[in-house]
Amino acid sequence: MSILLNKTTRVLVQGITGKIGQAQTKWMKEYGTTIVAGVTPGRGGATVEGVPVFDGVAEAVKETGAEASVFFVPARAVKDTVFETLEAGIKLVVVVTEHVPVHDTMEMRAEARKVGATLLGPTTPGILTVGEAKMGIIPGNLFPKVGGRAGVISRSGTLAYEVGGILAKAGTAPSTVVGMGADPVVLTDLADILKFFAADPGTDFVTIVGEVGGIQEELAADYIAKDFKKPVIAYIAGRNTPEGKRMGHAGAIVQRGMGSVQSKVAALEKAGALIAKIPAEIGTLARRLSGASA
Amino acid sequence: MRLHEHEAARFFQQAGVPVPPFAVARTADEAVAALGQVGLPVVLKAQVLVGSRGKHGGILLASTPEEVREKAAALLAKTVRGLAVESVMVAKAVPIARELYVGVTVDAVAGAVTVILGTAGGIDVETVAKEQPEALFRKSVVPPAELRGHEGRALAREAGFRGDLMVKIADVLVALYRVFRKSDALIAEVNPLAVTADEALWAVDAVLEVDDSALFRHPEMPTDTAARIEHPLERAAKQIGVSYVDLDGDIAIISSGAGLGMATMDVVGQRLKPANFLETGGGITEELMYKTTSLVLQKPGLRGLLINLYGGINPIHEGAKGIVRVLKEQQVTFPVVAKALGNRQEETWATLKEAGVIIVTDITTEAAVDALCAALGAVH
Repeated sequence: MSILLNKTTRVLVQGITGKIGQAQTKWMKEYGTTIVAGVTPGRGGATVEGVPVFDGVAEAVKETGAEASVFFVPARAVKDTVFETLEAGIKLVVVVTEHVPVHDTMEMRAEARKVGATLLGPTTPGILTVGEAKMGIIPGNLFPKVGGRAGVISRSGTLAYEVGGILAKAGTAPSTVVGMGADPVVLTDLADILKFFAADPGTDFVTIVGEVGGIQEELAADYIAKDFKKPVIAYIAGRNTPEGKRMGHAGAIVQRGMGSVQSKVAALEKAGALIAKIPAEIGTLARRLSGASA
Repeated sequence: MRLHEHEAARFFQQAGVPVPPFAVARTADEAVAALGQVGLPVVLKAQVLVGSRGKHGGILLASTPEEVREKAAALLAKTVRGLAVESVMVAKAVPIARELYVGVTVDAVAGAVTVILGTAGGIDVETVAKEQPEALFRKSVVPPAELRGHEGRALAREAGFRGDLMVKIADVLVALYRVFRKSDALIAEVNPLAVTADEALWAVDAVLEVDDSALFRHPEMPTDTAARIEHPLERAAKQIGVSYVDLDGDIAIISSGAGLGMATMDVVGQRLKPANFLETGGGITEELMYKTTSLVLQKPGLRGLLINLYGGINPIHEGAKGIVRVLKEQQVTFPVVAKALGNRQEETWATLKEAGVIIVTDITTEAAVDALCAALGAVH
């Protein structure tokens, strides 16, 4: 089972004619994703990997029934393109692009909430529903052929791949892996993504892969304590982060006394989550959970 | 990018925030010459990109030209919290009756902007938040909305201000919000906002940090982003386009993602000591990996190198060629362990093996650290 994306979801690729857009379209198709259209302004009428390209989103939606969109759009064009996409009625948008100005993200976030759309990112590897479909850049060959019952939500990309592999090795394959993005402001909160997993009968437990910076994990802990009934495993990266240093991601910074691993772990632990100190411990904890539920 | 106080003050002034007359001096002579436009008495402020300059002797008052010469020379000769003082801001001193705080910042929780007015200024706003939270008043604004005049006045009223002072504070809040939005800032702050006995307001400090991701649309901003980074390797990394953070251990780390890099630090840190954090981001090429590998190997006293890559968006088989070139050129003798998984992993392994790199095919970073520990044991 899965959340947000499965093999019947009709996916639009924005920025499909760029180098990365083309390569990733090929990988996504090979994985089983139903890609129905691409958009690059000025390239309407072209074909990429057998996918028809349109000049605008409204036209692509009208012609192909696209219902979800993944972005390989340059940072400076992301905001405009998101507004275009939401206006065309698309309710799931994955913004893979890095280095999107945070002021733009605030505007996009407000608009997404207004129209009730789920936007992931910026700086997200995307979503992968194991054995079915993927939107974004998560490499399919790191995951088992058949999906399992473990949900994964990750702030980071590459670390999500590792955790997916660890879960599979533990015999608890992921259902859907969701990258929520690593910027200081995200388009959809961690707690809101948890709600999708709460409603999915195919997910038994969820692994949260967090990192230093921001307050997403703390907010999610509040929700978990109050309303989330499934077990949660959490690993927060960056235990040894020096204060005031940005660890690669724009949002990964312990600043003004906020955003430390210790604060996140304390909040999640209090909410009943099982804490892994290093990624490999996620496997041990997952095995324990699946044993308990079997 | 954090701006120098005098740069921020200029932007604040242009937006309508009242800033006392000031000039920037690189020598004691220039400081004295600035008195013509600034007027005595003045405050001399070391232009270094750290907080609490006052506590560390970076801010001095001067009332005569002689004093200005002497104190400016002293400031320009010293370091403040480890940073050399290259210029001094010469600002007209204002008689302060009361200190307030005004700040505009990104509120990650709400995904919106928070405008803050504090009735206690001049001290660290985090300290105020902890010790007297009742002194801080906040208003959330969701861009692209502006902070409107009546909203500024409502906030000032809520903080207890009335009459002309309330209106003037609101004007400062609106102007500061405008400069925050216009410059794509992460924070715009005046601490303290000075109130004189006759209820005039003066911004006697100016903090402005601009979002690096938005610099492409700000030709008015300084362009020396990388030069402002103090640590030489961190600065070099910024110039290449990767992120480096210097740590105090002896195991170099290269990772292809920030989260993965932090996790690698966590795992290495359990048994060994990481020398650095380095993440490449999604732009790996042979050339980038050549430069990146050369960069991390510049740190003296290394005992090992751990490479942790995933080929999602990154062509790791290209990157491997760059790594191998460095290892061969520098004839690296300590153990190099690589875990490189994802698209085209087999090609990547073959390239790395050729230069004697120990390949780990297990998915866990723990396995890579095990291999490194074993290799280090064999070296001893």
